[in-house]
Amino acid sequence: MKTFEYIAPESLDDALEAMERHGSDLKPLAGGTDLLVDLKHTLNGPRIVMDISGVPELRGIEETPAGLRIGAMVTHTEIEQAPLIAEHAPAMIAAAVTIGAVQTRNMGTIGGNLVTCVPSLDSGPVLVALDALVTMAGVGGKRQLPLTEFFLGPRQTALAPDELLIDILIPTAMLGRPTSFRKFGLRKGQALALVNVAANVKVEEGRIAETRIALGAVSPTVIRAVNAEGIVTGKEVGDTAVLREAAQTAVTEARPIDDFRASAAYRRELIAVGTFRVLEEALAQATTA
Amino acid sequence: MRGDGVHEIELTVNGVVRRAQVSPETTLLAALRDSWGLTGSKLGCDVGDCGACTVLVDGLSINSCLLLAVQANGRDVVTIEGLGGFEYLHPLQAAFERLSSYQCGFCAPGMIISAKALLDENPAPTELQIREALSGNLCRCTGYTKVIDAITEVCRDHAGAVGVEQSV
Repeated sequence: MKTFEYIAPESLDDALEAMERHGSDLKPLAGGTDLLVDLKHTLNGPRIVMDISGVPELRGIEETPAGLRIGAMVTHTEIEQAPLIAEHAPAMIAAAVTIGAVQTRNMGTIGGNLVTCVPSLDSGPVLVALDALVTMAGVGGKRQLPLTEFFLGPRQTALAPDELLIDILIPTAMLGRPTSFRKFGLRKGQALALVNVAANVKVEEGRIAETRIALGAVSPTVIRAVNAEGIVTGKEVGDTAVLREAAQTAVTEARPIDDFRASAAYRRELIAVGTFRVLEEALAQATTA
Repeated sequence: MRGDGVHEIELTVNGVVRRAQVSPETTLLAALRDSWGLTGSKLGCDVGDCGACTVLVDGLSINSCLLLAVQANGRDVVTIEGLGGFEYLHPLQAAFERLSSYQCGFCAPGMIISAKALLDENPAPTELQIREALSGNLCRCTGYTKVIDAITEVCRDHAGAVGVEQSV
């Protein structure tokens, strides 16, 4: 690994000031499970690595008037074990346990997962299905974006070079809403998703009032399958044919690629199967709640 | 930090306070092996896939190839050397030996640390939980069956007693 200067600010202001001063010469270090791998394989690394683990504003999981706030530096293991997540957004736990292995989950952070922004990121679909917002901060102030606008493409986000991802917010209206997540990989452990999918539904008087379906690993970034959502919304719960139609429609909304892990054709099959299952599971949660 | 980019670090490794001067890009694994001669933790893939470098930091298993030594400053690290040695084997080490759970042994320190992390948290895991807990530790010669047998045996023979920190 090429050498660098290591700094570890203890306040958000100090961290943001360093980012403004050093621009693209500086890389923030969160859990390190992606960054250290990158640093080992590049000849053109940053001049400064800034460890942000000491910045208190990036920590913690808490209920706020706007919703459930999850600090960007919260690890996947902390999500797995957090009572507030289990109570309000348990599908996040279903997604977190599929990330890497125990060691990577103990180190890797949810903010890092979102900022690295690979198309197959496992924390993406559930958060998109829950309409999550992300807060970014620079020296000029904070701004908030829907996660769908934060993801721009493979390894590309809306984060400016001098901005830090601060936290993720799940809006109050989404807390406790029936949500399901499925991931398909080539094996159970340490697999990258061939397809990952999440669905979130709101059921009122036996009808599906709202639907959100998010697909991962089958487009440049996580997408909402809005046409499939439109097929489900407004229908009565219990109509399996509707779910099958929605699943087939979701396939047409994705742009899966052929690569050494799987063919696009196989991924299309998985989208249909996955979308059907997450809808069925979310609806089952809604009717047993 | 000193002006020349070298950091002075001090941490607890296997109950002993260790100090070193490291450059920022030094990983914890490199410090363990090169600064303190603790060569039980192995450098395998160097990207966090194989688990041969697994150690406990503040009780959590991590890939020491992906943690900078400066990040470990002030923290509590346990390596395979902290579980046992020639005079005394940790029950996990003894079970791995008795059941021939490894051939070349390269993955074993990481496997045993991951197993210890599991048993510290859950003294009576199911086989599926053992498999999931070890999914970040790859073996390329013996396979996994005897590893799981060893951990299962330790759970059966030492129910409730394995989580206790054992010193050399």
